Amino acid sequence: MKLKHMAVIILASYGILAVLPVFVGHTSYVMNILIMCLIWAVVASCWDVIMGFAGIFSFGQVAFFVMGAYCSAILAITHHVPPVASIVIAGVFTAGMGVLVGLPCLKLAGPYVALVTFGVHMALQPLLKGEIGIALGSGGAAGLLNIPPISLFGYTFGADTMVPTFYLILAISLACVLTIMGMVKSYWGMAFLALKDSQPFAASLGISAFKYKLMVFAVTSFLTGIIGAVYGHFYGVLSARMLDLDLFSILMIMILAGGLGHFPGAVIGSFLVVAASELMAPLGVYRAVTMGGMVVVLVLALPDGVMGLFIRRINRVHKT
Amino acid sequence: MFEENTILLFYEITDVIIAGLSNGSVYALMAVGMTLVYGVTRAFNFAYGDFFNMGGYFAWILIVGIGLEFGGYITVFVIVLPLLFAVGYGLETFLIAPLRKRPDWENRVMMLTLGLALFLSNLYMVVFGTRLKSLPPILEGILEIGQIVFSYQDIMIFVMSLGGILLFGWMLNNTRTGMAVRAVAQNPEGARIVGIDIKRVFAATFAISTVMVGFGGILLSQKLFINPTTGGAIMVKAWVVTAFGGMGSIRGGLYAAFIIGMMEAFVGWTFGMSYTIIALFVLLLATLVIRPQGLMGKGA
Amino acid sequence: MIRVSGLNAFYGQFHVLKDVSITVEKNAVVVVLGPNGHGKSTLLKSICGLAEKTTGSIRLNDTELTGLSSEKIVDSGVTYIAETRELFPNMTVLENLKLGAFCRRARPFEAENLEKVFDLFPRLADRKSQTASTMSGGEAKMLAIARGLMSNADFLAIDEPSLGLQPNLRTEVFHTIKTINEQGITILLVEQNIPQIARLASKVYVLEEGKITFEGNRDEAVGNDHLKEIFLGM
Repeated sequence: MKLKHMAVIILASYGILAVLPVFVGHTSYVMNILIMCLIWAVVASCWDVIMGFAGIFSFGQVAFFVMGAYCSAILAITHHVPPVASIVIAGVFTAGMGVLVGLPCLKLAGPYVALVTFGVHMALQPLLKGEIGIALGSGGAAGLLNIPPISLFGYTFGADTMVPTFYLILAISLACVLTIMGMVKSYWGMAFLALKDSQPFAASLGISAFKYKLMVFAVTSFLTGIIGAVYGHFYGVLSARMLDLDLFSILMIMILAGGLGHFPGAVIGSFLVVAASELMAPLGVYRAVTMGGMVVVLVLALPDGVMGLFIRRINRVHKT
Repeated sequence: MFEENTILLFYEITDVIIAGLSNGSVYALMAVGMTLVYGVTRAFNFAYGDFFNMGGYFAWILIVGIGLEFGGYITVFVIVLPLLFAVGYGLETFLIAPLRKRPDWENRVMMLTLGLALFLSNLYMVVFGTRLKSLPPILEGILEIGQIVFSYQDIMIFVMSLGGILLFGWMLNNTRTGMAVRAVAQNPEGARIVGIDIKRVFAATFAISTVMVGFGGILLSQKLFINPTTGGAIMVKAWVVTAFGGMGSIRGGLYAAFIIGMMEAFVGWTFGMSYTIIALFVLLLATLVIRPQGLMGKGA
Repeated sequence: MIRVSGLNAFYGQFHVLKDVSITVEKNAVVVVLGPNGHGKSTLLKSICGLAEKTTGSIRLNDTELTGLSSEKIVDSGVTYIAETRELFPNMTVLENLKLGAFCRRARPFEAENLEKVFDLFPRLADRKSQTASTMSGGEAKMLAIARGLMSNADFLAIDEPSLGLQPNLRTEVFHTIKTINEQGITILLVEQNIPQIARLASKVYVLEEGKITFEGNRDEAVGNDHLKEIFLGM
């Protein structure tokens, strides 16, 4: 897909979202949902770039998200670091963790990468709940309460200032997504396409798969950590229960609905799925079952997601 | 002679070792099933642990739910194992085989089976509730050898898991289907040339691995509880055992299973059960860094 | 008799075979010559149901083979013998041979065929319990042919039997093929540029760039100047 098309889709999606507070700005319930759209769009896009574009089968994205959120929250609560600084530190920390996880496993075959990253995910919950986590300030099984909101130049972006907070997060989210777009369309992106076509040929050009995979891992972890930190400061509470498979699978549904490997499909996917998930709330206990079933059905029936439809449209226009 | 504390410690340690052995034997069963399915079909099954629970729940329905009297666990095996076979066979045929046409099918299979894992674990929660279920022991009573006490249950678990693995190994070498499975693992194209229906071999392999992990579930759920949410952790455990032993090596899987069973029992005993997954993970990372092909693997 | 008409085959984007038609009479040895990568293997694989995508018609006597799965085709008596080593590397010679008799058609004759094969290749009988991956190139080739014979086929599609063999072993392999043919098995064989093979053939085709460019009996092939130059090296 061309840069132009990507930019149009991203700006149109964010544009629609940016207008909505005019109509629903007074309903904090809806504003909450809109902010979730912005946050998940970044996480889903990062994950999609890793899985679909770079072809690394990583299952660690939620873990990185939680790491970023906890890192920033602990810094703010225990060490009284102002949120603006702690968010940046959290991003750098998460990027470092990304590299740390990537180093041993990115040279290995797909299922091993999936296992190690999924292992990070699985190990993080007992770690946060256990004594080590408590010693670091994770709050144990109860999680963290009273995480200070972001404040900038004396202005506090909290639950009572929903509309400004929304626009702040929109700006951060858009910046993240545009960074991803830049990455996909940059020299790096081209390198990945070359790697996909022919690994030996790419190697002859001096493109090292490992180096690029590690760089993508670092950048996406950084962005995921940042948005995780933002989530924590916006929400005010964190719990290790985020690592239950619910969030994990919702993010996966977002990617699949948008179209795996068809950035910026994940952005559209997350907007659609957040809305759909709210609509599915009346299903109660059956909701998670339905979600699992949806993953299965989407993988089988809609392999290119919503973007598949777009791409077909674009191709048709080009042909005529 | 010894201080009373020392003697108590000795008993505790023998208990831990016995637990390690009986758990390890079930892990071996699970690892063999996983090595098999990955080695033959190249499909990675993220819902593997949920089939472990499926075995446990099926047995629970029969024994506790219906209150089956006749034949006890023998009836359970006769009914549940073929059922698990059918589930695995259908899964490969209807959900995984259609994906094989795509170039990135391996990744899509991982996503699909992850969705399936979520579906199953939540289905268990809806159907059976979040309260843990327990199964009665397959054989009551204890065996005392000198000062050491074995429960018949542990002995049965150990014997039946190893018996299952040996039976499987025998079938692999001495039956037509077993030969076909080995042929496909070694050379799928060669298998097609001699007229082996590889789609059916894939399905049968998937089914056998489902039976093995479900059988493990029936055995181990008598000691632990059946917990609808543990599928992921069980899958990771089976995978760590497989990777540690060496992907594709049945013997490596056996050794790894007992090492890990022991390690887990001792970590659980000294630090608490919630640390076992962290210990597993550290072991996995160490394996991948120091010897990525595992104990007995032949390299990538 | 096998009659291939209007066969097209594709590998991904590549159109490998273009409207290929050939006929192999019962008990014949038909040789298809052609440069590497021009579709010879694909032709054999298409007949045996091993090619990715094909259109056209392949008839065995009165049965249409196109669209049948490879195991059904083996069951109807058509077996492919691979150019590359498509053996089972970690199995013994005996296990490889037994798997050759995997199809339903061959099962009742397994013992009988095993005896026949060991008569034909005494060396394999000596090495029954040796692992396939430890065999030399010539032995592996024999094992591949022997495994094909175990399927009790009427029709063998043999892919470059001389590839990678020394001249004396080649002669041996060709001699064996002749013996097999004399036992009543029809043979379709592809080769790159081996002059000896033309002497074995009752009919010769030339396949270039996915098309049949020559068709004739042995004498016509040997007499053809173009063929002499390019393939027969005479």
